[in-house]
Amino acid sequence: MKFSSSKKEQRFWAYLFLGFPLLLMSVFVFFPIAFAFVVSFYDWNLLIPDKPFVGLGNYFELFKDEVFVKAVKNTIVYTMGVVPVQTMLSLFLAFIMNQKIVGIAFFRTAFYIPAVTSSVVTSIIFVWIYSKPGLLNYILDTVGIDSNIDWLTNPSTVLPAIMVLNIWTTSGYFMVSFLAGLQSIPTTLYEAAKIDGANQWRLFKDITVPMVRPVTYFVVVMSLIGCFQVFDQIFIMSSGGPDNSSTTMSYYVYQNSFKYFRFGLGAASAVILALLIFTVTAIQKKYLPPDYY
Amino acid sequence: MKQIKLQKILFLIVLGIMTMIYIGPFLFSLSISFSGDKNVFEWPISFLPDDATFANYRNVWNELPFGKWLFNSVLVTTIQTISNVFFAALAGFTFARLEFPGKNIIFTILLSSLMIPGIVLLVPKFIVLNELSLINSYGGLILPGLVSVTNIFLMRQFFSTIPKDLEQAALIDGCSYFRIFWEIFLPISKPALAAVAIYTFQGSWNEFLWPVIVTYTEDMYTLPLGMASLRHELLTDWPLLMAGTILISLPTLAIFIIFQRYFVQGVSSSGLKG
Amino acid sequence: MATIEIKNLKKVYPGAKEATIENANITIEDKEFVVLVGPSGCGKSTLLRMIAGLEEITDGEIAIDNVRMNELSPKDRDIAMVFQNYALYPHMSVFDNMAYSLKLRKVPKAEIKEIVENAAKILDITHLLDRKPKDMSGGQRQRVAIGRSIVRNPKIFLFDEPLSNLDANLRVHMRSEIKKLHKQLNATMVYVTHDQIEAMTMGDRIVVLKDGDVMQFDTPMNLFNNPTNKFVAGFIGSPSMNFIEGKIIEENGITFISKDLKFEVPEDLKPCLKEFIGKDVTFGFRPEYIYDKKYEKIKRLSRDMEITVDSIEPIGSESYIYFRFNGNPEHKFCFRSDSQQQYSVGDTFSIGVDINRLRFFDTTTEERIF
Repeated sequence: MKFSSSKKEQRFWAYLFLGFPLLLMSVFVFFPIAFAFVVSFYDWNLLIPDKPFVGLGNYFELFKDEVFVKAVKNTIVYTMGVVPVQTMLSLFLAFIMNQKIVGIAFFRTAFYIPAVTSSVVTSIIFVWIYSKPGLLNYILDTVGIDSNIDWLTNPSTVLPAIMVLNIWTTSGYFMVSFLAGLQSIPTTLYEAAKIDGANQWRLFKDITVPMVRPVTYFVVVMSLIGCFQVFDQIFIMSSGGPDNSSTTMSYYVYQNSFKYFRFGLGAASAVILALLIFTVTAIQKKYLPPDYY
Repeated sequence: MKQIKLQKILFLIVLGIMTMIYIGPFLFSLSISFSGDKNVFEWPISFLPDDATFANYRNVWNELPFGKWLFNSVLVTTIQTISNVFFAALAGFTFARLEFPGKNIIFTILLSSLMIPGIVLLVPKFIVLNELSLINSYGGLILPGLVSVTNIFLMRQFFSTIPKDLEQAALIDGCSYFRIFWEIFLPISKPALAAVAIYTFQGSWNEFLWPVIVTYTEDMYTLPLGMASLRHELLTDWPLLMAGTILISLPTLAIFIIFQRYFVQGVSSSGLKG
Repeated sequence: MATIEIKNLKKVYPGAKEATIENANITIEDKEFVVLVGPSGCGKSTLLRMIAGLEEITDGEIAIDNVRMNELSPKDRDIAMVFQNYALYPHMSVFDNMAYSLKLRKVPKAEIKEIVENAAKILDITHLLDRKPKDMSGGQRQRVAIGRSIVRNPKIFLFDEPLSNLDANLRVHMRSEIKKLHKQLNATMVYVTHDQIEAMTMGDRIVVLKDGDVMQFDTPMNLFNNPTNKFVAGFIGSPSMNFIEGKIIEENGITFISKDLKFEVPEDLKPCLKEFIGKDVTFGFRPEYIYDKKYEKIKRLSRDMEITVDSIEPIGSESYIYFRFNGNPEHKFCFRSDSQQQYSVGDTFSIGVDINRLRFFDTTTEERIF
């Protein structure tokens, strides 16, 4: 190949290199993003050939649907419950992991294992733990709390039970993020603060927390996005039940789109979920910005 | 001195409890998978059942379409991992090192697509695949996961850290841009490539939502979906179910333990972008 | 044969307001060792990279052996370059690093081996050929980087601050090695540095750059003795030339007057300075040409000037004496004295400046008057 200038050469290779990836992404990402909005304005049903335009009809229907309102409520409860606990727990774990203890690699691996394991596996194990004769009730019995309930079929416990599973699964993942953040804090900062007279708690509060703030921001964003879209655990453990008390928005999207094949309604509910995520992350960015100075 | 010692003991107790919470459930599951007794709620449970047996693992193979699911999972995961590594490196290199008209616009579009929650894409992706008659086929399972923006971004970030001098030295030595990519950048990017490979493998192997949507016959299921589909009918056979879940976890667990440092690396480098 | 001709060269980075290189005209002769020197941001690296073909040329022309290079890619210019950070391929052994460009040019294997081993011998790195870059010291890496450039036997060698990552001793050593190599290879070399001592010791000729403009292109001694302007005068030489801003007035003939100092200019300077009567000029005198009247009797010195020692920097072989003129202690100046003479802070004595070495600059244009 002869190129008369390096500019032309770069252009040639760039388009060659990007061709296939961009084609795939156009078909499976860019087009679908736009198409999602389009579908949400139609009464689009896989099983019915006629697809009338209904404008905002799907959106109106959603807000009249009790199940959807419940799903929105459940999703918000779920997210607001999981994110703060998970973030604090991960930071705490990272703080422990940052100590000089023999065999720290073992503990780090242990905390991380749930994060790399299939959601199906963890869900099935926790179905066993949460069942009436299961581990949880046994432990509660042993410490003297009488709780002879089936955690996953009880409307008031099913969602918290799945939330705990979620916290357990992903806190190890975020722990590693925090750990990297902790390790990048220069030790001289701690030394300076010690000389200034700070005790352990002040060190944590005045040096650690502000210095890992960019990581905290990242963790909260990722955690939010994950929680708002929680699906696997709901599908496997409760199928949204009992009586929709664990139906989340993504499960609602799934149910309408792929059980009843009401694509228009499903797309509209997904769009609302996306808007909700945007709003919450935008609020977070405004009031809890990532930079610490 | 005494206080420090007490602190240390307290610390170790906390650490022990936390560790039990995080790996305890897996130990129970492992123990149950070897149990010959179908009643797994005999308290206190013994971690080493007297009647330990491999029968459950044999039954997973013989009584369930486990082999077929395993084949599907391996096929999907292998193709997606190789494809992701190759194209993420190629596209990452292009965005990090080449100048071409439209670069900034294309990259911005890519990055913005990251903000769109995956759930929004389900319905339109399904419609597209339906038009292509790819529902309930390997094409439908594999195609949407061949490239990922996150991986491209990760590779671009990595390639951006390589000194410009290196590429210019290669240009003066007489390399074409493809050779620079293939002979200089790829060989020195093994850690980043490994991180992308491991992440893709793990994500692909554990993927649940997409197979749920795109497959509807048992012979097209991947392993996680297959096991989940049995969760209700097998509720009475916990040892069999647990043996299946243990088998699903083994590959990711093995890869995680072998390549731990790449996991940590990947997480911390993706953490920096926030 | 390898001459480099740079004609009306201009470089403006996209989006930048100011040009990085403005109207540069330089002709580098065959087998010449030319150093580009200037403070950081002066455009010296950009100029070198334009010769290499790594930066696009906004306007003007670069020709090597009278062939226009503007459109050629780096690999077709028959040049080699040594980078500041060595830019060795970290995954290849030293041998492979050096052989790589030959391999790309499809040179037969046996020949590659011979060439590389030969180059390794010249640079005394034969024992390192199997090592990876990470297993070597900075100085060794530097040699490999040079080795990589010489295997191809290019017309022109380009060096981009190659010694700035080495420690001081090694730097001095490598300086002479590169000079020796220049003799051995008989090639044209262009060398970028920010260190004026490196420039002075290495260059046959030196290009002094400032803010993208070529200030002067001359031999080291000419730069030192006959700088064309105040910038070159101040940049070349360490410690820097002393400057005093003042005025030329007509009083007992022609007199220079400033807050610190007032003196009648020597006879031979009068014709030049006559035109500047009433104008602002800057008087410059090098620390090297200031003498203590007590010890120096032979040279033609100016009349006595009373000074007070402000501070002293002994560097062993000599001392830098910082002083103020008595009567107006506003500015500090420097002179060099050999360490035999003992001074202490607060000492007051008379100095004189070698009359043959007085320099005057136009304060507004900074051009040299004399």
